[in-house]
Amino acid sequence: MTVSQFGDARTGKLADNLTGFGRALRRAGVRVDAARMALAQQAVLLTGLGREDFSAALEAVLVGREQDRAVFRELFDAYFKNPDVAQKLLAQMLPSAESKAEPVKRRPRVSEALAPVRAARNAPPVREDEKIDFDAAMTASDRQRLHHADFNQLSASEYQLVERLARDIPLPLPHYAARRTRPGVRGSRPHWPGAMHQAARHGGEILSLPRLQRRQQPLPLLVLVDVSGSMERYARLLLAFLHAATAPRHAGAGLRRDVFAFGTGLTDLTPAFRLGDTDAMLDAASHAISDFAGGTRMGESLAALRQHHARRLVGRRTLVLLISDGLDTGTPEVLERELGWLRRHSGRLLWLNPLLRFDGYAPTARGAAVLHRQAHGMLAVHNLARLQDLAGSLAALLRQ
Amino acid sequence: MSLPNSVDALIRSLQDVGYFADRRLATAVFLALKLQRPLLLEGEPGVGKTALAQALSQVLARGLIRLQCYDGLEQREALYEWNYAAQLLHLRAAEGRADGAQLEREVYQDRYLIRRPLLQALQAPAPGAVLLIDEVDRADEPFEAFLLEYLGEYQVSIPEIGTVRASATPVTLLTSNRTRDLHDAVKRRCLYHWLDYPERERELAIVHAQVPGASAALARQVADFVARLRSQPFANAFQRAPGIAESVEWAKALVALDTIVVDPEVVSDTAGILFKQREDVAALTRDMAAQLLQPEEA
Repeated sequence: MTVSQFGDARTGKLADNLTGFGRALRRAGVRVDAARMALAQQAVLLTGLGREDFSAALEAVLVGREQDRAVFRELFDAYFKNPDVAQKLLAQMLPSAESKAEPVKRRPRVSEALAPVRAARNAPPVREDEKIDFDAAMTASDRQRLHHADFNQLSASEYQLVERLARDIPLPLPHYAARRTRPGVRGSRPHWPGAMHQAARHGGEILSLPRLQRRQQPLPLLVLVDVSGSMERYARLLLAFLHAATAPRHAGAGLRRDVFAFGTGLTDLTPAFRLGDTDAMLDAASHAISDFAGGTRMGESLAALRQHHARRLVGRRTLVLLISDGLDTGTPEVLERELGWLRRHSGRLLWLNPLLRFDGYAPTARGAAVLHRQAHGMLAVHNLARLQDLAGSLAALLRQ
Repeated sequence: MSLPNSVDALIRSLQDVGYFADRRLATAVFLALKLQRPLLLEGEPGVGKTALAQALSQVLARGLIRLQCYDGLEQREALYEWNYAAQLLHLRAAEGRADGAQLEREVYQDRYLIRRPLLQALQAPAPGAVLLIDEVDRADEPFEAFLLEYLGEYQVSIPEIGTVRASATPVTLLTSNRTRDLHDAVKRRCLYHWLDYPERERELAIVHAQVPGASAALARQVADFVARLRSQPFANAFQRAPGIAESVEWAKALVALDTIVVDPEVVSDTAGILFKQREDVAALTRDMAAQLLQPEEA
């Protein structure tokens, strides 16, 4: 098999094609740097160009996360001209009336990443009225995407408020004695390296025995934020505050935090929370959340958490913070089962309920009743719209 | 044995030692060997991540050195530690005899060094070792940072002795169960492969190889049943799908029970082998077992 069978036949150069493919991957959001591309070339030379090996070699080198595999494979098929896919793609480019072929279902990221390449290949410019939207083959989830969260960036005063609160009301995240140790004066195990060094200084005499004591680490934190319609007003500032309050500069570098938003589905906000800047986080979150201000199907969302992210709950000591009003439109039996699972697999399951505005509140809504039964603790927030109260309540809940 | 010179050769020799790798996995392993990069394997429990390291050590005729990571793993358990008790004895014995510098040299000599897996892997005589760093996600981030340095240079410095360099780069496999995402910097050092559950044929081959007592029909039923368990819509009913280890165990159990044909009765009696959680065992009802056992065409 010759090199020219792969990639763009006009250039016929493997290196160029690989570079172009790397660019397309980057556009699709797969992180690929120059060193990786160089390695990819080496790899391809080692395995040869059999189609399967070629793809496997590139995947082993260029992909570093399970999530990126699907994007990689689709893009690979499209880029290295699987004749079938190319055909379908071409059909998709033509006005839809002529298109008999079934459109290739392709995630928007891949379509967007391919767009410049295809534009260059299909030289004849398309007239405005003939232009076909790439999202022609929109899947349900694509449509849902349009309804994503509209988190504006924080106004300056809001930003200051969030920062001030995060500073003034430190979340007293509980600590536990980690298995890692450090030299100290308490503790049961002797610190032999220290003892030896001391002995060396005193002619072999051990005068006092330094000890190893266990380091203190904050408990891992898992936050589940309800972003359904009834919680719409609170979600944005809540996320902003949580982001600031659990940032390494306030909560210490050792804190492990996982954040999920849920409505009708589950969205992993952990990558967004890794961004240092709160505005950047809100921006990333609003892109990620597909079901903002929709319904609440808490049970199903928790089931998704169990199936796909169960291992985010570390060693049964994770502190789970569930922020929801408990107005659930899903099946109560499912919710009951999933909450039971969550409770068993976490250290503490705390429920923060913004509906608890008056003292006489009783959790009568079906979902709320289940939550009330399963959570280790529940807290009233009298007016969640005011962030001060929220921050204070969170802190109080953690202190319980 | 020297490195296999093609992907096919690697697949064949892995098969000879009882490991059935698919082509994509074999390609990744082949590249890791050729490019001398560590290979990071991720996947559900029981898909053969650790078994791959064992098979590879057999194929390459290199010793397998395993570092099991856990929460709180520290350098002294992973890399080296001094034998303090022996050092103290040495100090006592030498009391008043030698001068300071002399004593220090004596105390920090090679024979008082306890080598832990990472150091062993560096000092393994040619052709080197297969180093398995198992469940690296369980160790914490400071350890990961240390690992980063180790995997980049394959050398460590011991203040009292000096720098130890690898005489032969160890073939390094890292496995992770994804309890947390590894740091990007570590991933950049590694090649990556996500191990899926095997397709039906591969699982059948594994069951055949591991359970010679199972008849062809029984092995096929086991492979079919487990494959359908893992596929939708059945997978949703369970918290954890059975891995390869479980299906092999199950086949062994069926042989031990003299089963000729798997029926719903047998399935529910032996559900405890496929599933290790009460809810999952309960979820595998007879009705569902009957459904799963129906031929695919239905």
